[in-house]
Amino acid sequence: MAAKKLRRAQLSQELCERLSRCQITTCQDFLCLSLLELMKVTGQSYYEVQKLLCKVSRACAPKMQTAYEMKLRKSVSPSSAFLSTTLHGLDRVLHGGVPCGSLTEITSPPGCGKTQFCIMLSVLATLPVSMGGLDGAVIYIDTESAFSAERLIEIAGNRFPTYFDSDEKVFCMTRSVHLYRELTCCSVLKRIMSLEEEIISKKVKLIIIDSVASVVRKEFDTKLQGNLAERSNFLTRGASVLKYLAEEFSIPVILTNQITTSLSNGPAIQADLVSPADDLSLSE
Amino acid sequence: MQREVGSLPLAPALRARLAAAGFQTAQELLETGPCGLSKEIGISKEEALEALQVVRQECHGDAARTAGGSGTARKFTALELLEEEQAQGFIITFCSALDNILGGGVQLTKITEVCGAPGVGKTQLCMQLAVDVQIPECFGGVAGEAVFIDTEGSFMVDRVVDIAAACVEHCQLIAEAQQEADHLKALETFSLESILSHIYYFRCRDYIELLAQVYLLPEFLSEHSKVRLVVIDGIAFPFRHDFEDLSLRTRLLNGLAQQLIIIANDHKAAVVLTNQMTTRIGQSQSTLVPALGESWGHAATVRLIFHWDNSQRLATLYKSPSQREATVPYHVTPHGFRDVQPPAVTQNAEGTEMNPRKRPRREEEKQ
Repeated sequence: MAAKKLRRAQLSQELCERLSRCQITTCQDFLCLSLLELMKVTGQSYYEVQKLLCKVSRACAPKMQTAYEMKLRKSVSPSSAFLSTTLHGLDRVLHGGVPCGSLTEITSPPGCGKTQFCIMLSVLATLPVSMGGLDGAVIYIDTESAFSAERLIEIAGNRFPTYFDSDEKVFCMTRSVHLYRELTCCSVLKRIMSLEEEIISKKVKLIIIDSVASVVRKEFDTKLQGNLAERSNFLTRGASVLKYLAEEFSIPVILTNQITTSLSNGPAIQADLVSPADDLSLSE
Repeated sequence: MQREVGSLPLAPALRARLAAAGFQTAQELLETGPCGLSKEIGISKEEALEALQVVRQECHGDAARTAGGSGTARKFTALELLEEEQAQGFIITFCSALDNILGGGVQLTKITEVCGAPGVGKTQLCMQLAVDVQIPECFGGVAGEAVFIDTEGSFMVDRVVDIAAACVEHCQLIAEAQQEADHLKALETFSLESILSHIYYFRCRDYIELLAQVYLLPEFLSEHSKVRLVVIDGIAFPFRHDFEDLSLRTRLLNGLAQQLIIIANDHKAAVVLTNQMTTRIGQSQSTLVPALGESWGHAATVRLIFHWDNSQRLATLYKSPSQREATVPYHVTPHGFRDVQPPAVTQNAEGTEMNPRKRPRREEEKQ
């Protein structure tokens, strides 16, 4: 939306040309200027510039919906609102399961079962809707090289023996799980940015990133100057793209995280589970 | 009439020409007339006419202002302001302890900022306020509508349904206890559907969409004049990444704050913003402070900081022009934002809060 070119915002041709001479081509450039600067570059009066501002804003602004419309839309297809985890206690607490359309974070100390949980959810997502699945493909971004295809097949075979009774069905399931091994922050971010097209072409219904924490902690030492800002920059960019994908396609996105100790002498404001993204920006 | 030509809101090129031709005051321009002006400066007659119309409009606006009439610069005495403030409603939060330290609730025409770590209840408070602003006047509310601008995607419709249902039930209990005609009449229009239909939701994905939406907000509020609450959930999120130029960020945020202040004043609405916390690394230890820097701290009139104390959620009033600093505990229940336990003192001289924890039979409404 921000990179929308001004000529698509229905400004006149000559105005667009005049603005592009001052290096103002997108809505972002236009809206970042103050009123006086806009008057200077467009050569128009104060009131005209305000009208232009409204025009450009209308090209960028989101559409309004009332909460009632949102509720009606949700109630039309209730089954697609959650991915049931098949653990009844957990489903009850989560009011149905892992919610579609938002980010879910799974955190634990090492060895508790995060990757196992993710592998199980991958199997569940490929199941047909009648069995509680999402009938779609899975994108699994693995930064720790902890994914095991054998384990995937083992879980599928043992959990749903009646469904996965033939090799054909098992292969079909494994073909729907797309694994990407990314080992640096940069490649993870690039991969996340490229997901939009993959989701449409492969009919993806679940995105799993296991884990964000390991790749961030490897590269960013917060004791060094400037690293904290860069780390939070990377995390918020990743988070905003993932949120956009989750909402746009109404699919669940699962991230795993690690535990860190918060050492502080002053009044402890954090609870014992603190995300290693200490700037607390990822789970928002 | 003696206004200088350089201060008129004309196009810069035109102003430059007028200055070069020697025009100094608006009076001279009006005396010359459109034909004379077009000949002297070398612009077309239509352009000259347009310019003169702008000048005339400005001068009329000035005259009205200096005569003490209504304009954008209003003059009040402190007594008039006092009367206005006392007559103004508050948006209650359903947590009477929090309402008490705020002086009655979230104030209209002021910007309130809520800061806190993730998961502490900021969005819950925002959703609660979006429902509470719609409470009819006979129950002690302001009977307004709400605009919810979401930048983080944390707005859950199902949760708002729960909160709204609890609020309607609460009002129904009061109406049953009091049995007054206007209560029952108000309840006819105060239903779940009407509450949800009057929450106007905008999902802004980045800071440009947020800026664009705030530019369009005055127009929206003029069309929907009953809006009394504007919530921006997550003012920090879109500004925390992709900003190499921090001075641009400060400028945009200041501009945003100014526009929100104007909106709050002109439309008599409360503006509620939520902010994130960030770590400030000191010499020996690091502390959690509200994000977006020191200069953003001046934007909000009232600042609340939500934090944890072991497993109890606390709200601290950090900055307020009229109330004392205080900390109170609160709860987030399935019904929404609530007190921790029934407060001991229930009678309050000027307050209009409802006490949600008392049993229905003894429900009292202070008015």
